[in-house]
Amino acid sequence: MEKEKMIQELAKIVGKEDVMTSEMELQLYGYDASLNRGRPDCIVMPASTEEVSMVVKFARENRIPVVARGAGTNLSGGSSPTQGGIALLFTRMNRILEIDVENQRVVVEPGAITLDIKGAIGKYGYLYHPDPSSEKATTIAGNLGENAGGAHCFKYGVTSNHVLGAEVVLYDGEVIEIGGKSLDNPGFDLPGLLVGSEGTLGMVTKLTLRMMPKTEAVKTMLAIYDTIADGANTVSDIVKAGMIPTTLEMMDNLTIKAVEAAYHVGFPEDAASILLIELDGLKDGMERLTDEVVAICKKNNVREVRVAKNEAEREKIWAGRKGAFGAVGRLRPNYLVNDPTVPRTRLPEALAQVVEIGKKYNLPIANVFHAGDGNLHPLILFDERDKDELDRVHKAAFEIMKLCADMGGTISGEHGIGVEKLKGMPLIFSEKDIAAMRNVKLAFDPEDVYNPGKLLPVEKAA
Amino acid sequence: MSNTEKLASKLREIVGEANVIEDPEKLKALAVDGVIPKVLVSPGTIDETSKVVAYANAEKLAVIPMGNGSKMALGGIPRKLDILLSTRRLNRYTDYDIANLTVGVECGVTLAEIQAKLAGEGRGYFIPLDPQHSQRATVGGIVATNDSGAKRFLYGACRDFILGMKAVFPNGDIVAAGGKAVKNVAGYDMTKLMIGSMGAVGMICEITFRITPKPDAEATLLFPFDGLKEAAGFLRKLLQSKFYPASLELLSAGMAAKLPATSALKGNFIAAVALDGIEEAVARLKKDLSEMGRQEGATDVVVLTADGHREFWIAYRDIADPLAKTHPNFISLKANFALSKVMEMVGAFETGFKEAGLDGALFCSAGNGILRAVLPLGDDLGAKTAAVVGLIGRLTAESVKNGGNLIVERAPKAIKEKVNVWGQTRSDVVVVRRLKERLDPAGILNPGRYVGGV
Ligand SMILES: Cc1cc2nc3c(=O)[nH]c(=O)nc-3n(C[C@H](O)[C@H](O)[C@H](O)COP(=O)(O)OP(=O)(O)OC[C@H]3O[C@@H](n4cnc5c(N)ncnc54)[C@H](O)[C@@H]3O)c2cc1C
Repeated sequence: MEKEKMIQELAKIVGKEDVMTSEMELQLYGYDASLNRGRPDCIVMPASTEEVSMVVKFARENRIPVVARGAGTNLSGGSSPTQGGIALLFTRMNRILEIDVENQRVVVEPGAITLDIKGAIGKYGYLYHPDPSSEKATTIAGNLGENAGGAHCFKYGVTSNHVLGAEVVLYDGEVIEIGGKSLDNPGFDLPGLLVGSEGTLGMVTKLTLRMMPKTEAVKTMLAIYDTIADGANTVSDIVKAGMIPTTLEMMDNLTIKAVEAAYHVGFPEDAASILLIELDGLKDGMERLTDEVVAICKKNNVREVRVAKNEAEREKIWAGRKGAFGAVGRLRPNYLVNDPTVPRTRLPEALAQVVEIGKKYNLPIANVFHAGDGNLHPLILFDERDKDELDRVHKAAFEIMKLCADMGGTISGEHGIGVEKLKGMPLIFSEKDIAAMRNVKLAFDPEDVYNPGKLLPVEKAA
Repeated sequence: MSNTEKLASKLREIVGEANVIEDPEKLKALAVDGVIPKVLVSPGTIDETSKVVAYANAEKLAVIPMGNGSKMALGGIPRKLDILLSTRRLNRYTDYDIANLTVGVECGVTLAEIQAKLAGEGRGYFIPLDPQHSQRATVGGIVATNDSGAKRFLYGACRDFILGMKAVFPNGDIVAAGGKAVKNVAGYDMTKLMIGSMGAVGMICEITFRITPKPDAEATLLFPFDGLKEAAGFLRKLLQSKFYPASLELLSAGMAAKLPATSALKGNFIAAVALDGIEEAVARLKKDLSEMGRQEGATDVVVLTADGHREFWIAYRDIADPLAKTHPNFISLKANFALSKVMEMVGAFETGFKEAGLDGALFCSAGNGILRAVLPLGDDLGAKTAAVVGLIGRLTAESVKNGGNLIVERAPKAIKEKVNVWGQTRSDVVVVRRLKERLDPAGILNPGRYVGGV
């Protein structure tokens, strides 16, 4: 279809000012937080489910790809329109529709910002648990798209554990409800399937989330180590002791130095690693558990354990963790972050091999990771203008994925496949596994309207 | 050779002589809703399972998988049944990694067996599931029906702690999904598609669970109440609190009468609250909740610990088993609803039983929004059919009104023929059908038994 005509038709649906086509905008919305660059043919901002449905119908009839876009912060190419088409932007659908305290659910539009939702329900004493470090910027549907995790997932799980229902626009424009406020609705667990589907199965136009009462007490600790292995072994020992902290997060020396330079939160710059531990629950027994954790740290040669004495100290510790990516990002023009996962007990080994890979390709790698979940985040630092370096970055990233897959882990714990990790899929899935997923895609979207080229590797020619 | 002989001989080639049964008498006893299988086959490996399914697919034969048969009454009446596929020989452990808190098992292992094994490891571990049929249910059957119990309030359900799976798809492909990583977003989350799918698009053969360390302390508090309003109000207050008990249950007097621990309690409704946690927390909860219960109108507080606590919850989970044995026309219903609607739901069910002149009893997971009702009908089904069908219709409408739905978990065929066992059809049935058509184009797995009649 001719571009002018397309823009006219779309403007009829959403209004003229909500179709963007300037050169700058087309470039801007070609990005996400990965290294990929796409370019939409136009950017469309619907205001309602009905408008989404009409845009989708129009796109399908004219064979135009539709790429859903939240805040564009994903790290795998998920919202970059690599095959052109319509970038469907949900900024106008960002309302919190209903805070249903009685039923412990919050109903929101897809473009609602994660932290805004938390702020709104916090007033009622409730929490929405998943907490990607980027939550200040991310949309809730973007979290759904990637099945975002965060630093409290060890105890409370990831996005998929907290999304209970949704309204979805199918590839033909039909609007359906999946899941709901209640649990166990009859039929397939479609919310479970939609979470992490990277905008390839349907457009989510409404979400129903679980909210939980705030816990009574929380204890935050920062343990400082002279080796990485001591920190990782502490994590395993805490788990072995039968404790389920909310948080077990680590960072290595390069990250510590970067964070300290950026935020001055008081991390010792000569430490090899630090471990952030948080416990929550009833106040009863919390002091005893804290003592037990400190004892486990000591057994693993900790240099120092700092227990936050008040909310201000707690926030300072967390600011260092939440800002880690940003701080590391200041070290070199670009970074590529991987997020493979290994069984927790193999963390020390995996980290040691990541260091070797960095040496082999002569690339600085900073590590900040969800240690409790065995979820690594090696940030490979480079300058994309240096083509040779860029080439080495991709090779190193692939080797890191492979080493984790070989350890019985997976290639992505929370950032998604997008286009960036497509070549890693065969490391963990057979052709048959992928064929089954392809059938799921075909059942939802037989004409490949939604986010073509993402998540599933192209079928080998027969 | 008759078709059945041909089928049996082909299956014997795959699974061996001893593992195919064609004896009509034996097969009659295994009928699903009165539909008698042509053969019973028990593959010993996932590979053999794959071959059996691939053969069935090529020949367009209907396959119904079965574990220990505790939930075969669930679902629509099968349109066709050629091969009943027993999972009981699929009973290996494929991963046993206490340090990483993961256990992988084949589908034919009973949950009870795994729990006993895990309880003996180190400080003690468990899979945080407490569904019906505590001794008999196999993990395959539990996961395929997404069964859960009271403790789901604290620990979640299958979707929250299943990390990976292997399933045989209708074309015979052995498909792996997820793995043993606690977080995994590579590709679609196919485990979610399989949980609760009743084997509509694939047969679940192997499951990897995340396991949980046993709590240091456990106890149960029982609170008899005279009125529903007070009982529901108390549970409501608890649900909104920072206390996080393990379960928040409500029993009707009819149900309480059937359980040893509650039969002597005086009250029209009993609130049962399980506590799991560290010693200090459980001690505090015992004290605070007892006070809170009395303030809200409980006429008594009974504390169960150790064996008393354990036995109560086993009997609670298994309530349907003794009733089904003594009542040939046993009916069990499961309703889901929005959390705040406990009173409306319990009230509607109690009234419904009375108006229909039926002797029903119910228990309700106030923390999960799930209600189960049992109707132990005698042997005069004919006279009661109309009343039961009417009642199911009314209760379904009531459940939908309260934000949920109602499924018939178990009922005689004469009833199933007249009701929608999966409740009111939802708008997502279009996707259920499309998935079924894509993944099982020949319609060989469990035909007719799942949502939307697929
Ligand atoms: C500094 C930094 C820190 C980060 N930290 C974390 C972290 O701790 N944990 C973590 O998990 N991730 C983290 N991320 C990654 C990223 O923030 C998450 O993936 C986030 O969930 C993306 O949300 P978004 O709104 O930016 O969505 P986008 O990036 O715009 O989109 C993500 C995907 O969702 C799809 N999508 C968007 N809206 C819809 C819709 N309405 N319907 C259907 N599909 C839709 C898109 O098509 C795309 O595939 C981080 C990223 C950065 C840059």
